[in-house]
Amino acid sequence: MYKGIAGSDGIGIGNAALIKEQEIKYEQNSALSAEEETARFDAAVDELIKKTDAMAEEMRANVGEKEAEILMGHSLMLSDPAMTDEVRGIIAGGLTSEAAAEQVFETFAAMFEATGDELTMQRAADLRDVKSGIIKTLQGVRDVDIKSLPKGSVIVVNDLTPSMTAGINKDNIAGIVTETGGRTSHSAILARALEIPAVLSVEGVTGMIADGSRIIVDGTRGEVITGPDEKTEAEYAEKKAEFDKCRKELEKLIGKPTVTADGTKVELVCNIGKPDDCAAVLEKDGEGVGLFRTEFLYMDTDEKPGEEQQFEAYRKAAMTLKGKPVIIRTLDVGGDKDIPYLGLEKEENPFMGFRAVRYCLENKELYRDQLRALLRASAFGDIKIMVPLVTCVEEVRQAKALIKEIMAELDREGVEYNKDIKIGIMAETPAAAAIADLLAEEADFFSIGTNDLTGYTMAVDRGNAKVAYLYSAYQPAVLRNIKRIIECGKQKGIMVGMCGEAAADPLLIPLLISFGLDEFSVSPTSVLATRDIIGKWSKAEADKVAEEAMNCATESEVKALLEARRK
Amino acid sequence: MTSKKVTVTNPEGLHMRPAGVFTKAMSAFESSVNIKFNGQNYNGKSIMNVLAAGIKCGSDIEIECDGADEQAALDKAVEIVQTAE
Repeated sequence: MYKGIAGSDGIGIGNAALIKEQEIKYEQNSALSAEEETARFDAAVDELIKKTDAMAEEMRANVGEKEAEILMGHSLMLSDPAMTDEVRGIIAGGLTSEAAAEQVFETFAAMFEATGDELTMQRAADLRDVKSGIIKTLQGVRDVDIKSLPKGSVIVVNDLTPSMTAGINKDNIAGIVTETGGRTSHSAILARALEIPAVLSVEGVTGMIADGSRIIVDGTRGEVITGPDEKTEAEYAEKKAEFDKCRKELEKLIGKPTVTADGTKVELVCNIGKPDDCAAVLEKDGEGVGLFRTEFLYMDTDEKPGEEQQFEAYRKAAMTLKGKPVIIRTLDVGGDKDIPYLGLEKEENPFMGFRAVRYCLENKELYRDQLRALLRASAFGDIKIMVPLVTCVEEVRQAKALIKEIMAELDREGVEYNKDIKIGIMAETPAAAAIADLLAEEADFFSIGTNDLTGYTMAVDRGNAKVAYLYSAYQPAVLRNIKRIIECGKQKGIMVGMCGEAAADPLLIPLLISFGLDEFSVSPTSVLATRDIIGKWSKAEADKVAEEAMNCATESEVKALLEARRK
Repeated sequence: MTSKKVTVTNPEGLHMRPAGVFTKAMSAFESSVNIKFNGQNYNGKSIMNVLAAGIKCGSDIEIECDGADEQAALDKAVEIVQTAE
């Protein structure tokens, strides 16, 4: 089995269609006059523009407007006057069209890659696709024709270029496996639009899979299985049938409100880790963001991110979501994460140590940058601030005081921000559950982080195999804490959400409905399934199950009961 | 020559799609179109130049148009960066 990135959900079973790009060799110095060589280049470009436009039309008709735009972009690159001028200049110096195209396109590709902007960097792949198109046209090399692949083909290729995919026949392609590309690459976007299961970035896969061999693509888990035995293939065939049926059912829920069976509206939002994830939120019909983790801004970098960089990221998320709520959690770090420039000391017990809000309130300059960026970004959408790991009232008061200070500063500078910005807490410690009534006086909302709440309540490190059996949200102790947090929030009339894995757990959903949870924050891929389950329960039915569950004495009793009542 | 400083308000910035709309529209004018961003100049009729600039939402840019139809070109350019979806 090979592991890769889960690029497009679903399971595909078929025969590998190995696509290898042939290497093209060409002369550097032209034997033609500059005029003749230029004419040769122009003719190739004209031919390719016509072909690309035709492919764009086909893509528009068969897939969609958005996908066709990629190819329209290629057409514009081909008719780019700055590019043509530079190529002509190089041809005038005696080089072939191929060598000139190589030079010019690679120069631009390097510029794209130097911007450090993810979207722009990805466009370098388009430039190279166009470049190889020009060189192939000049050399009279035909593209691999994916259109003619037989039914049940699984494409195995280094990179699926837009020009390659233009003629893709959805009915014949069972799956896609590539060596390069991430979830936001063209291959992934296109595979999702066509609903073809895809696994990307499987290193060296084109060298390991034989053309025509049997292959299974699990695009949900990001796994590729080669040469499966009969039993495995039958198992996957069953999984595939189930997945396809579920997908059909769930797609009917796109655009529908999230309501319980008796018509109570709840919010169904998403957990994300990067501004770019907002696209997946919209794609899966999430109603906003319930948890935006900001650690990505601080990890994988050598220096602390400045206010501007953070502002850009938060604003981008807010604007992409066009007024939908975005709850952004302030920095949640501690001694268990290695961020060299923060100078975090290794601690004996990092999960109970100097972390999250405790660290931020002691390192005010760092916190200030983040809070200022958040406040400034709040002018561009419905941003809410969430403080993690709160255990006492002072922490909320101090964070709010700091925010007030920054607000006064922004007022003096005449910088716009949302003056009514909501400031809430992540309820994820037993302490927060115990004083939830007091915290509800201070915070504008609660969001229950069930992952940490379970660990702290049960005093268990889930990484420790010897005690991991205690780590379960079905533990009566955890359920009582969840119930208390929700009830205290409701009594004070503040919004209570949940952003842990439990919010998408079909077994726990009736309990959460009964307790009165207002907002469910789940991963984008769980939105429709969660909406489906919520719609199956009325308050009265949920209350009945909750009462039974809260009377259970053990975790296994709770679990057995919820399994038995499952809808 | 006429010029104007504007803030890009398209949430996508001047990435592929809006950059395509922009350069296509600018090509229809006779005037030259120059984008000043971060102290660099980019040809506003070249999609590859515009993309290489990596202009994000909220970026401040200056657009300069020079030629017979410079005012019309500038008006159109400003309209696109401020309203393009």
